[in-house]
Formats: sequence, C-alpha cells, structure tokens
Amino acid sequence: MSLGLAPIAVGDLKGYSQWVDQPKLPPETLDLGSRGEPSLELLEELDPDLIVATYGYGLEPKDFERFAPTYDLPLYADDASPYIQAKTETRRLGERLGRRGAAEALLFEAERMIEQSRTKLLDRRSGPVCLFTFFDDRHLRIYGAGSLLQDVLTRLEITNAWTGETSNWGISTVGVEQLAIIGDARLVCLEPIMPHAHRMMRQSTLWQNLPAVRAHPITTLPTLWPFGGLDVAARFAASMANNLVSA
Amino acid sequence: MPAAFAALLLAFVCAGLTARGLHSLLPVELWWSALVAPDMTDVSQLLFHHSAIPRIAVSILAGAALGLAGTILQQALRNPLAEPATIGTAAGAHLALGIASLTAPFLFGFGRELVAIGGAVLATAAVIALSWRRHLSPVSLVLAGLVVSLVCGSASALLVIFNRDYMTELFIWQTGSLVQNGTVVAGGLAVRLAVGFALAALLIRPMRLLELDDDNTRSLGFSPVTLRLAGLGVAVWLGAIVVAAVGVIGFIGLSAPHIARMLGARTFSQRLALAPVTGALLLWLTDQVVQILPLPEEVPAGTVTALVGAPIVLFLLPRMRTVMSGQSALDLNSARHAIRWWMPHAAVLSIAATIVLSLFLARGTGGWHWASEGELATFMPLRLPRVLVALSAGAILAVSGTLLQRTTGNPMASPEVLGISSGASVGVILLFLAGIDLTRAGMMVAATVGALLTLSVVMVMAERIRTVPDHILLVGVSLTALGTGLAALVLASGDPRIDFLLAWLSGSTYRASALDAATAVALTCILLCLSPLMARWLEILPLGVPASQSLGLPFKTARLSIWLAAGVAAAAATILVGPLSFVGLIAPRAADYLGYHRPLPQLFVGAFVGAIVMAVSDWIGRTIIFPWQVPVGLLVALIGGPFFLWQLSRRT
Repeated sequence: MSLGLAPIAVGDLKGYSQWVDQPKLPPETLDLGSRGEPSLELLEELDPDLIVATYGYGLEPKDFERFAPTYDLPLYADDASPYIQAKTETRRLGERLGRRGAAEALLFEAERMIEQSRTKLLDRRSGPVCLFTFFDDRHLRIYGAGSLLQDVLTRLEITNAWTGETSNWGISTVGVEQLAIIGDARLVCLEPIMPHAHRMMRQSTLWQNLPAVRAHPITTLPTLWPFGGLDVAARFAASMANNLVSA
Repeated sequence: MPAAFAALLLAFVCAGLTARGLHSLLPVELWWSALVAPDMTDVSQLLFHHSAIPRIAVSILAGAALGLAGTILQQALRNPLAEPATIGTAAGAHLALGIASLTAPFLFGFGRELVAIGGAVLATAAVIALSWRRHLSPVSLVLAGLVVSLVCGSASALLVIFNRDYMTELFIWQTGSLVQNGTVVAGGLAVRLAVGFALAALLIRPMRLLELDDDNTRSLGFSPVTLRLAGLGVAVWLGAIVVAAVGVIGFIGLSAPHIARMLGARTFSQRLALAPVTGALLLWLTDQVVQILPLPEEVPAGTVTALVGAPIVLFLLPRMRTVMSGQSALDLNSARHAIRWWMPHAAVLSIAATIVLSLFLARGTGGWHWASEGELATFMPLRLPRVLVALSAGAILAVSGTLLQRTTGNPMASPEVLGISSGASVGVILLFLAGIDLTRAGMMVAATVGALLTLSVVMVMAERIRTVPDHILLVGVSLTALGTGLAALVLASGDPRIDFLLAWLSGSTYRASALDAATAVALTCILLCLSPLMARWLEILPLGVPASQSLGLPFKTARLSIWLAAGVAAAAATILVGPLSFVGLIAPRAADYLGYHRPLPQLFVGAFVGAIVMAVSDWIGRTIIFPWQVPVGLLVALIGGPFFLWQLSRRT
C-alpha cells in the first residue's frame, strides 16, 4: 500500500483493520483467510501476479509457487536493526514491483517525518519514556531493544526507560508491577486499552502509586502495528511528536 | 511423624526463598512498617505491600483451595484422577472468559469472577447431567468431564484462531499467572477459602461413607448421589474462584491429595487437613522458584506446576497404593453385533461418497460450486491430499485407540489421553523454542522423537504399575499436562510466529502434501492388514496375566508388540494432522456403543467411523466459513464431542 499498489487480497482482513488500521485498504480487497493458513483455493481462483509474505514462520515459498511468483519480505530476520531492514526491504520490494520511485519517496518521507518530529521534540526534552501495550489488567507488552519502535526512539533522541531483556522481536511480557523499576519515566501506551485495564488503573493502589504514574499523566497513542515497516515508523514518530509536545 | 517433618521442611524452604526474595526488595527492619503502614512514595515499600506480599498470599491461598477441591472431588467421585481440571470446571471457566472478552468485554468491568463461575458451573453441570443416568459412576463422570473439557477447549481455541490478537490475554489466563497489583484478590480469596473449609468440615462425616459401596451407604440412610453432589458443589465453586482469581493452574488439585496420602494421611479427614497444606506449599514453592529463575520473560506459575507436577506424579505412581479403584471394565452388557456381509460394501461406498463430495463441492468467490471436470484438474492437487490424509489419520487414530483400550482394559485409553499425541507436540514446541525454523522435515523428526519417547515412558510405567491399570491414565494426564503447559507458555509469549503453531496444534490438514497422502494411505492399509494377526491377543490380553499364560500367550511380548503398533500409529497421525484430541478416544467407543464389542469388529468399525468423521469434518472445516478454515481437529471435537455425550447419556 505504501508503495501505491493495492493488493487484491490479504490474510486476516478484519485483523488488519483492527490492528494495523493505516494505510486503509480499498473496500474491494478480499479476505484470504487466516494469516497462518491463507486459502489456497482462493489463491488458485484469484490467480495473483505476486504473493508477498514473510516466509519461514510455517509458510514456505514452495507451497505457493504453483499459484504465482513468491516474494519474501523479512523485517525481523537478521541482526540488522528493524528500521535499517525496513529501508533495505522497501527498496528491494520497490525494485520488484517496478516502483523504485515510490520506494525512494517512501524512504525520503519516513526520514523527513522522523527528522521533523525530532526537531519538534527538541525544545521539549521530556526525559525517558516507556512504551507498552496492555495484554490484560495485570500484564504489559513492553517495547525495548531490537524493536522497530526502539529504532525510531533512538532517531528521535528519546531514551527508552525499559532496558530489560527482550525477545527477537524486541518485546517483553511483564507484570504491571515491573513498571516500578523504571522510576518516573513517561508512560506511553499504544491503543487499544481494554475495559478491565481501565478498571485496574482506576482501582489499583499499586498502579496509582507507581512513580511513573505519579510523575506524568499517561500518554496514549492511536493503534499502530509495531511489527510493521517504514510507514509505521513514520507514523509512530509523528504521533510521538504530536502527543508529547501537547502533553 | 514423617509427614509433619516433610511438610515442615518444605515450609522452611519456601520461607527461606521468600525471605531471600523479600530482603532483596526491602531490608528486614522495614518489613513490619511496610506491611501495616507502607510509605507509598517509596517504591520498595510500595512493591512490598501491593505486589510481593499479595502474590505470596495468593499463591498460598490458591494452592490450598486447589488442594481442598481436589481432595473433595477425589473422595466424591471415588476417582484418583479427579480435580477441577479433569471434570470440566477449568475448561468451562476458560471458555466463558473467552466468549465474554469477545462479545461482552464490559462484563469484565465488574470483574471476571462471575463470568468464570458461570462457565465452570455450566460445564460441570453438563458433565453431571450426562452421567446422571449412570448414577454418577466414576468412569462415566470422568469420561464425560474429559469430553466436555475437550469441547470447551476446542471452542476456546477456535475463538483464538479467529481473534488472535484479542486473545493473548486469555493465553496468560490459561497459564495461571500469580502477578498481583493490589490486595483485593488476596483478601477475596482468603474469605472464600475460609467458607470452603467450613463447608468441607460439614462434609467430613457423611463423605467418609462414600468409601463404602453405594448399597451400604444407602443402608446407613444417606443417598450416595446427594453426598456426591454436595461434595462436587463445594469443589467446583473452589475451582472456579481460583480460575477467576489467577487463571488455570493444573496439577495442584490432582497431586496434593496423592502427596498427602504418601505422607501418611490415611483417612479422608486427615487428607482434608493435609492436602490443602501440601497444595499451598507446592504453589508457594513453585512461584518462588519461578521468580528466582533467570528467565527473560515471566514464566506463569500455572505452566510450571504442570512442568514440575508431572514428573512428581510419575515418580510417585509406582509407590502409590490404590485406595479407591474405579469400575473401569469395558461395557459388555448390551446386544452384540457381528459384521454382516454387506457392511464392508456399505463402508467402501460411503467412503467413496465422502471423497467425491470433498473433491467436487466447495465454495469460491461466487458461492457454492460443484467443480466441472476441467476445474477438478486444478483443484485436485489441493483437495485430494487433504481428503486422503483426513480419512487415513481418522482410521489410524481409531485403530491406535482400539488397541490401547483393549490392552489396558480401559475405555478411556487413547493416544490423546495417554499423552502420546502430546509427546509429539512437545517435540515440535521444543524445536520452536530452540529457535529453529519450523520446516516440515524438522517437524516430522521432532514429532516422531517426541511421540516415541512418550510412548516408552508410558510403557516403562505400565510395566512398573501393571497391577493397577487405571494408573496408566495418570501417566497420560501428567504427560498431557506437560505438553499443554509448554504450549500455553509459547502461546503466551506473544511471539508473532504463534499463528502457525496454533494452526498445527489445532489439527489442520492444510499442509498435507501428495507425499503425506500416499504415506498415510499406505500406513492405514498396513495397519488394517496387520490387525487380524493381533485378534487373538486382543481377545485374551484383557483377561490378565494368569489367563493369558494358561492359554499359552506370551503376555509381555504380546502387549509390547500391540503397544508399539499403537504408538507408531499415533505418532504418524499426529505428524500428519497435529495432536488431534478426539478420534482415537471416540471412534473405538462409538464402535463399542454400536454393539461391536469383539476386538476385530470394533477395530474395523472404529476405523471406518474415525475415517468418515475426520473426512466429513475436514470438508466442513474447509467450506463453512470460506475463505477462513476451521482446523479439522477442533471441528471433530466440536461435532464429535456432543454426539458422543448424547450417546453416553442415552444408554443406561
């Protein structure tokens, strides 16, 4: 989408609109079924020109070669940081789709957006932040070293208060009480927030007495897919700038 | 006094670990003030009062509640396998939470307890209603509990597949996390546990009568059914409040009463006192150990109880006396049927009809569509392997189940129940945890190794405890809990690769290749051709060692060969369609209920039923919500489960 081409079908259409949201898919986009098991019969019927996927997580290119050429899009594969990988992969995909210009434009736009957000935040050094999503009312998914969001934070010159260990995807599942160790960092929560998490924040004495909660109001950012590419990076930078400056 | 000594020792270890943990958080001299009047601006005191202490309290209270529930259930059902997880309580609560979080998240705004209790009570009530006509006999009740759990579990898994990102919290729930951020939960649990103990105290005297047989109980003026229902009620309520407070924590309820018994608690009232203590210590210890392990992610205590509890039960089993033996003989009292000449023809015809239906009728962008000959050429490579794999896997599992049920003389034995399928999935999950890319070949190797290793554990255990055939089910339950715990751990990690693992665990034919299909069909043919050779063994083995030997049968060799065949078959089926948890149990039972009690008729009719059920379910799964697909394993559980329960309740 970010390269100006709309797919005829995607896996988990409903999940995309709930968790990725932007960029919006055109209304005629078809649902291919689940991400783990896209419908082969539908692929056969649609006869696509190219099947783009991140292979290696149970889906192998050879299973799809009979329908169309396949294209692997790894974003968290090697040791390079996710942001660098996203840049490389955007160029490569642009090449493959014959959209080199669009790819370069996307690269440029992402860099520009991050740089612009950085300047915006410059006069408002806000101290370290802690990025997370609520799992339920007791657990959080925290974004740390190795995540795309961390790469963007680094470029925005914002310190991530979470320095704990993270998985290959740069995330870590922790209990709410672990937020006590990050001191008075600013809490930045990615939506959605479920009703019982709201209830916990209202009722939990632990939550209300956390140094971070006492120090700043919680900043909430609109839904974005933290495992995405350049477009996500750019939007994250912009919404950090908007929300932190007004905070 | 070895009991008191052991318990005291355990308590000291727990207290030591806890003190060590707390001391690293806050110096001892501040403990008292942090407990009664914490300084909220001091992070250490805040964590001490609102997180560390509540967590310890909750682990002790939840462990005690589970130990109490398990003791009452095992007495009420006269069944050493009973605990909230085995009679549908935990699965029902979990499903209710899943449905509520999707359709009515506002309910959680009031807290989760009511939702969980509602689900737990409904599921357990279903189990009781279904075994009512059989006077709540232990075997039928646990059988119904197992099936209801499987159905609830499948429905939960289905919710997860369609709404994966919303359900991550349910994975955490399923793994039983003790993390606390306030004192409310601990306080609530304490009050409820006190009520539970009071009710249990009232039940001590009447429930001891259940150690007699039903007629004697009646002659003493008590209705055994009422007594059991009373016990069940208390236990289910206890089980549900624990699920509501911290999630599903397996094994404490099952193992605490057994450990109490090993420690010397011979009477019901002694166990009632000692098992909650044991349960509390077990969960407390587990949770303390979890916290000092150097792991990047928090490991939920519920997972670890399964990982630690399983080996403990395996270790204790050979040392365990049977106290209450269930009536686990096969049903042999209904009319017998023989295979008639037209039956094989009818079977072949209906299998052919299923294949034709599966190949031709499907949905596309334009709705339902009967494929023309030309189209069939394109769709054949996609559909035929799945049909053949489904048919074969169904038949293979059924044969495996029949062999296991005949040799153990136990109607609940099956590759799924004995943990062989779980063993295969553990192999794959370990591969996943090791960070190795999941290729088809790698998975096949890992699953085979896992299944065969589990099988050898089961066989060795069977050898050591052969005097008590029912205990082999405990081995299976332990191994299955191990697999489930490990799977839940991976699923809760939020790893983006879980989509694939989920699909495989729920039993999908999606990845069936032509090679898979050919292998599966060949294996089915070999199994079905070999089985007549085992017919005599299968007739004689259930009669026991003396009878077998007097008839000139090498008991050990015969049983080993049959088990090997059953195990290899189960491993193969698991590799093909994931660790399905139904057909191997249900198909032989269905054949039995249809009246085919002798080994060979049961085996062939079972294989036919298994094959048809799997193939039809696979077709429904592919088409019903096109382009999404329902994995056949889940669908079989959802369709076959209620059907089986209906059969079970219809018979008297």
